[in-house]
Amino acid sequence: MAAEPAYFVASDSETSGEEKSSFPIKDVAIGIDLGTSQCSVAFWNGSQLELIRNTRNQKLLRSFVTFKNETPSGGVSNQLAHEYEMLTGATIFNMKRLVGRLDTDPVVHASKNLPFLVQSLNIGVRPFIAALVNNMWRSTTPEEVLAIFLVELRALAEVHLKRPVTNVVLTIPVSFSRFQLSRIERACAMAGLHVLRLMPEPTAVALLYAQQQQQISQESTGGGNEKNALIFNMGAGYCDVAVTATAGGVSQIKALAGATIGGEDILQNMMHHLVPDMDNLFSSHGIEEIRTFGLLRVATQDAIHKLSFQESVQIDVDLGNGTKICKILDRNEFELVNLKVFEKCESLVWRCLHDAKVELEDLDDVILVGGCSYIPKIRSIVTSICKKDIYPGMNPMEAAVRGAALEGAVASGINDPSGSLDLLTIQATPLSIGIRADGISFIPVVHQNTAIPTRREVFFTTVHDNQTEALIIVYEGDEKVAEMNHLLGYFKITGIPPAPKGVPEITVCMDIDASNVLRVFAGIVMPGAQQPAGPFMEVRMPTVDDGHGWCAEALEKNYGTSKDLVTLQRKIQQ
Amino acid sequence: MLSSSSIRPFSQFPHRFAGESSLPPTSTVTFRQSRPSAVVCSSAATTISKPASAPSSFYEVLGIPMGATNNEIKSAYRKLVRVCHPDVAAIDDKSSSADEFMKVHTAYCTLSDPEKRADYDRRIFRNNRGSRLYSMSSPTMPRYSGYVSRNWETDQCW
Repeated sequence: MAAEPAYFVASDSETSGEEKSSFPIKDVAIGIDLGTSQCSVAFWNGSQLELIRNTRNQKLLRSFVTFKNETPSGGVSNQLAHEYEMLTGATIFNMKRLVGRLDTDPVVHASKNLPFLVQSLNIGVRPFIAALVNNMWRSTTPEEVLAIFLVELRALAEVHLKRPVTNVVLTIPVSFSRFQLSRIERACAMAGLHVLRLMPEPTAVALLYAQQQQQISQESTGGGNEKNALIFNMGAGYCDVAVTATAGGVSQIKALAGATIGGEDILQNMMHHLVPDMDNLFSSHGIEEIRTFGLLRVATQDAIHKLSFQESVQIDVDLGNGTKICKILDRNEFELVNLKVFEKCESLVWRCLHDAKVELEDLDDVILVGGCSYIPKIRSIVTSICKKDIYPGMNPMEAAVRGAALEGAVASGINDPSGSLDLLTIQATPLSIGIRADGISFIPVVHQNTAIPTRREVFFTTVHDNQTEALIIVYEGDEKVAEMNHLLGYFKITGIPPAPKGVPEITVCMDIDASNVLRVFAGIVMPGAQQPAGPFMEVRMPTVDDGHGWCAEALEKNYGTSKDLVTLQRKIQQ
Repeated sequence: MLSSSSIRPFSQFPHRFAGESSLPPTSTVTFRQSRPSAVVCSSAATTISKPASAPSSFYEVLGIPMGATNNEIKSAYRKLVRVCHPDVAAIDDKSSSADEFMKVHTAYCTLSDPEKRADYDRRIFRNNRGSRLYSMSSPTMPRYSGYVSRNWETDQCW
């Protein structure tokens, strides 16, 4: 395999439990909100949450890494003279949109008109990504770029806290697959960080909300009824929705919904609107095109920002290649161009409310966070669905990182005498996890929005007489056809005793622990037998690696239906 | 594929490579006493962790009377999870706390849903002998009860 760069990987001793128990305070995990466009770090300072500022006194740091000569430098330490500097091809950004995606993914394809190089062969492998260094495209990977950025964040935190930092709680989008999570963990390991928790962004906000509510109820009546809140989070890369039931410092996540849709999509739509043949103009990725593109991107972004605060905006930009854009853009036009984005946001809110089984009249608070929450249309969508004003007590840009830092303190076992850490989030699975069976169907074993930790099992049986082996192909997602979901891994069950089809009982059990580690167990039981027909299998998922687009195809090609399974109906009806 | 899948667990979960038996479990260690494989592979005797003291009905799991209101159910649930959820349980108690949490959560899921609760109440009254009917609806207990003679859930019925 390709050699990973020379970032060191955490050693055993650094994450050992002994260290943790003997220095409980020192080892408090910090919270990192690793955003598509911006990033921030917070920690529990013993009495309250604190955001770390860089040397230029910024709390929100741009997520990018510039490759220049020998040493790459990221947005933590690097000062940008102007936005254009990020758009020369030497800088990689939007890592969170690219990490853990295959080159068949539409999100990867949409990234091809970014200034750095994104190439795809459309075969289900990792896309090729490169930065322009000294007039040469130098290849890298999203994990490597994230790791370089995380090293800078870690250094910033260590300087501020005057101690080594290893344990982190990171926020992640709801729609991330477990494979993508494993890539984030990989980037953290490359940066010498140990991931204590990966928290879906709105659940971090939910924890912060739980703390606020607990403080309010302690001050007033003391008891505190259960409060339902809808949390809508939309940043540059992703949109997430959560419904949480909160009382007494316990935040129970009732439902999660998310999609890869965000400010970047809005920006791309607007750029295409202003320059309809943008993709053609930009396809050669030459130096001149990159410059042109940079001018267009900055002008468009600027206009979008202004439209959040004014009704219309004048765009005046000379792209330098004979194309001049001179246009007045108003909110109506903006909303029409981005109709699909807003419709998607709307459907996510409805789905989440539906899945949570919370009626609108039972909703107590509506929380809006993330960069896109400033867009008037987004605010009106959420408030008109929920028929509620927006909860005022959340800083849209800081809520997620504060929640992550809270979880860092809670999960590190810190107690606070004032009771402000007397908190708990009960997480839920954002996506269903199951296997391929009944032909090409996806049969969930752990359903979406199941409270974690959890353990579930489903029974299957053979489809052929005297079938001796079965393939367990594990997917994550909510599509009915297995292939449409994220492949997590596969393994084979062997030694099924000869029997007519439908007789052997194949048990598939899935176990998710509090740190969200997924284990899949599978084994064979013959009817009437007191013991299983051989040792069970235990597989930690995901097991797939880059290039898993090929795996599913190869399995299909080599085995056909010979190792298929169907659900055991009589077990269900019983 | 092999090389990188061997790196990942190494960096995240060093304990598994560092002599599993010698290290005490920590918050990040994820093995459990009663994994399904262990349940299946070991004899019935060792899988019954607390046969005598185990609560038998969902009401007893939550420590509430059968006539409890929805609010009482919710607050009893919250009180329990604040003690037994692995995030808040003592460091050396992580492994059993996950099972404890799942028990409590299953009870809560059934009792907090008016329909499921009514259904459950009917079954308790009607069917005092067979646990078969609702053992299937319990998601948390691995359904290996065919090989294990008793567990916390079937206890109430024998």
